[in-house]
Amino acid sequence: MSGTALSTFACDVSIHRSLAILTIVFRFCGNLSRGPSMRVYFRNAFLIGAAILGFSLGAFAQTYGTKGYSPGAWKPEELPKDLATPKPYNPRDLSGVWSTPTTAGYFERHSLNDKWIDTKDKKVPPQMRSDASPPPMTAWGKAKFDANKVSYGPRAVEPEFNNDPVSQCEPLGYPRDLWEANLRPFEFVQTPDRVLQHMQYHDVWRTIWTDGRALPKDPDPAWYGYSVGHWEGDTFVVESIGYDDRTWIDHFGNPHSDQMHLVERYRRTNQGTLLLDMTLTDPKTYTKPWVAETITFVNAKAAIFEEICSPSEERRFNDEIRDSSAAKPKP
Amino acid sequence: MRRISVSPFILGVCFLFAAAPLLAHHGTGVAYQQDKSITLQGTVTDWVWANPHCAILFDVTDEQGNVVHWGAELGNPHQLSSAGFSREVMKPGDKITIFGHPSRNGAPRLQFDHVVLPDGHTLTTKNVKGNGEKADTDY
Repeated sequence: MSGTALSTFACDVSIHRSLAILTIVFRFCGNLSRGPSMRVYFRNAFLIGAAILGFSLGAFAQTYGTKGYSPGAWKPEELPKDLATPKPYNPRDLSGVWSTPTTAGYFERHSLNDKWIDTKDKKVPPQMRSDASPPPMTAWGKAKFDANKVSYGPRAVEPEFNNDPVSQCEPLGYPRDLWEANLRPFEFVQTPDRVLQHMQYHDVWRTIWTDGRALPKDPDPAWYGYSVGHWEGDTFVVESIGYDDRTWIDHFGNPHSDQMHLVERYRRTNQGTLLLDMTLTDPKTYTKPWVAETITFVNAKAAIFEEICSPSEERRFNDEIRDSSAAKPKP
Repeated sequence: MRRISVSPFILGVCFLFAAAPLLAHHGTGVAYQQDKSITLQGTVTDWVWANPHCAILFDVTDEQGNVVHWGAELGNPHQLSSAGFSREVMKPGDKITIFGHPSRNGAPRLQFDHVVLPDGHTLTTKNVKGNGEKADTDY
């Protein structure tokens, strides 16, 4: 295992992996203290080595992000070898392809603070087993929330009967497109005067201006709002306003207004980890700020893939599969 | 005896990380009985390679000789590519055996689990992580 892989391993493994490895090492040490035979030593050493190698290969793969592997296009053997050489770690360099961790058992985030709902009923589908906890809503916000028919969380209806914009390939908006990083990564591209956040899903480029401009005074609403960013130490702070209120915050149907104000604080804590803290303030919809639990992103293996949500293809899917799988409403 | 317990422990840990969450999209799981599985043998009428959902459309002939047109829904091409699927992996006329979860209302619709192709090869999305990365592969 190379030194690079080792250092990557040290900083990139998840807490789960770290605990698992520590457990193995402790068990091995315990065996040593009881004085097993040399044969057992060698066998255990081999097993531990194999386990660490296995884990490090996974971490190694997570490190580069932009190795260029592209499903359906370039295969790894078709790419230049030097793509695998990572840039030195720089906390002020956010560039790379990022997704949320996908280790087994990891909870896929779909909102600022969503959680599993504790239920032992195995007939409850996974889509209904989580929910977000937004702050108390205003009357305006509650009316909007009630009008949003969803297919996730405890209010879920069959997809034919929801009015989720995603089911028609309508714009997801922000921050909702961010939650798609569970399924589809995003890429940060840094230039001298802006940071571009390229979302794989819907192939959206979000512009975060870093040229010193302030937020616009009275902008026309936009699907992805208007964003400016600056550095505070090694934290990249992004402020955004001017959002079109037709988008949802999450697939649980939590709404927002055109007064939504987002503050995002990104920290690249090592080569392979990007942390995000987010606060959503929207006095027209919520009675107090909605503070997200810290969101962790890791380097993705694959390059960004073209994943435009095609309205005609979605319509065909809805017609031929989705709608006929749902129970028809009673006459 | 405690000394030899390391191997199964490591195997267990490796298994834990090889496992991957099932793919879900647009809340369609609400429409299917995910605690039940069925197996069908049929003939492909269309292999829909599309965003954001792929689908297998196929005909199944029942014991009375009636042909029922079925549809199975899958994830997006990004996820499926990493699981070994491609635009060319199936074509109309192919005889397949398909496994999945039935719809709640009894309609001939299926939430895909895996398929056995005419050459005996099995394709599944079980070992693909949510973001399309293969759980046990270093690209």
